[in-house]
Amino acid sequence: MKRDPFIIIVAAMALTIMLVFGFHMARRSSRPIDKAGAQMKGQPAPEFTLQSLDGKTVHLADFRGKGVLLNFWATWCQPCKIEMPWFVELQKRYGPQGLQVVGVAMDDASPEDISKFAKDLGVNYPVLIGKEAVGDAYGGVPFMPETFYIGRDGKVVDKVVGLISRSDIEEDVKKALAEGQAVQAER
Amino acid sequence: MAYNRTLISLLIFTSLAISQDIPGRKIPSVTMSPVPLKTVTRGKPTDIDLRFHISPGFHVNSNKPNSEFLIPTALKINAPTDIVIGKITYPPGQEASFPFAPDEKLSVYRTEFTLGVVVRPLVSVVPGKYMLHGELKYQACDNAACYPPKKMPVDFEVKVVKGPPPHRRNPAQSPHVHG
Repeated sequence: MKRDPFIIIVAAMALTIMLVFGFHMARRSSRPIDKAGAQMKGQPAPEFTLQSLDGKTVHLADFRGKGVLLNFWATWCQPCKIEMPWFVELQKRYGPQGLQVVGVAMDDASPEDISKFAKDLGVNYPVLIGKEAVGDAYGGVPFMPETFYIGRDGKVVDKVVGLISRSDIEEDVKKALAEGQAVQAER
Repeated sequence: MAYNRTLISLLIFTSLAISQDIPGRKIPSVTMSPVPLKTVTRGKPTDIDLRFHISPGFHVNSNKPNSEFLIPTALKINAPTDIVIGKITYPPGQEASFPFAPDEKLSVYRTEFTLGVVVRPLVSVVPGKYMLHGELKYQACDNAACYPPKKMPVDFEVKVVKGPPPHRRNPAQSPHVHG
């Protein structure tokens, strides 16, 4: 059977493109960020109203003008437990510069259990009781931890799925604090 | 002509390459091996093994995780009336540490695990095949993230048979006296 040489060339080119694309995406995926998250970047963070553990009604808009680290977590999530003390430190360090860490507990545990969990980890930032609708607005939150970094202008700077290093988290915090700063200065 | 064909083919292949799913997170899955029909005798307890497989790269908590907040793997079987489900045996978890908590040992199942279920039909059960239904609750994680607790259906069939006729002892006989 005689093969058309141009088909072989085209197939080889296509294979090369797929391999290059695959390697590129594999490198990108070493720092977890999903497609939905990429689409949310630069977009206004979905507004929400949730109850905090201490019974207060909290709106995302309450934090406008601050860099927000919005962390979706659950009591059954071990990686969440690792990064929460880092958030405590970051809140202490960058709070004076305008950082606000906000935790959203997305599990069926009772508020008492969530409260105990947070207290054991020394959480020094508001923890809100999550709702499915809020999770949906943020892309479904199919796994945890999931963290959104929101600039001072209320736009999503980055979204990270899964546990990443403390230094990567800190980089994102700096980005969130820097983003929208010009807008603030103009006001 | 050949140039056009090449260009069209290249465009098709390129769009196929780009439309490949962006490598992201895989979703964990736990599956159960088919359970061969097991014959169980009325009135007698019979052990049935249920073998579960966890997709590569994931783990689930064992039945006795090392933290009160972690969700244990647990099986619940709803049996028909007169078929008693006895003890469910869980294997001990593997003590493992993960990149997200290198200093902490978690008790987990990885790759596969087998649960033992004791089934005992009462003597009143009509012999025949019975389907037992239940669900396995588990919560999976990979090396960086955790997935919400899930329940998977667990179904298996047993064939209930009559036990062997009761062994009758010969009634005590008075010694024959041969005169």
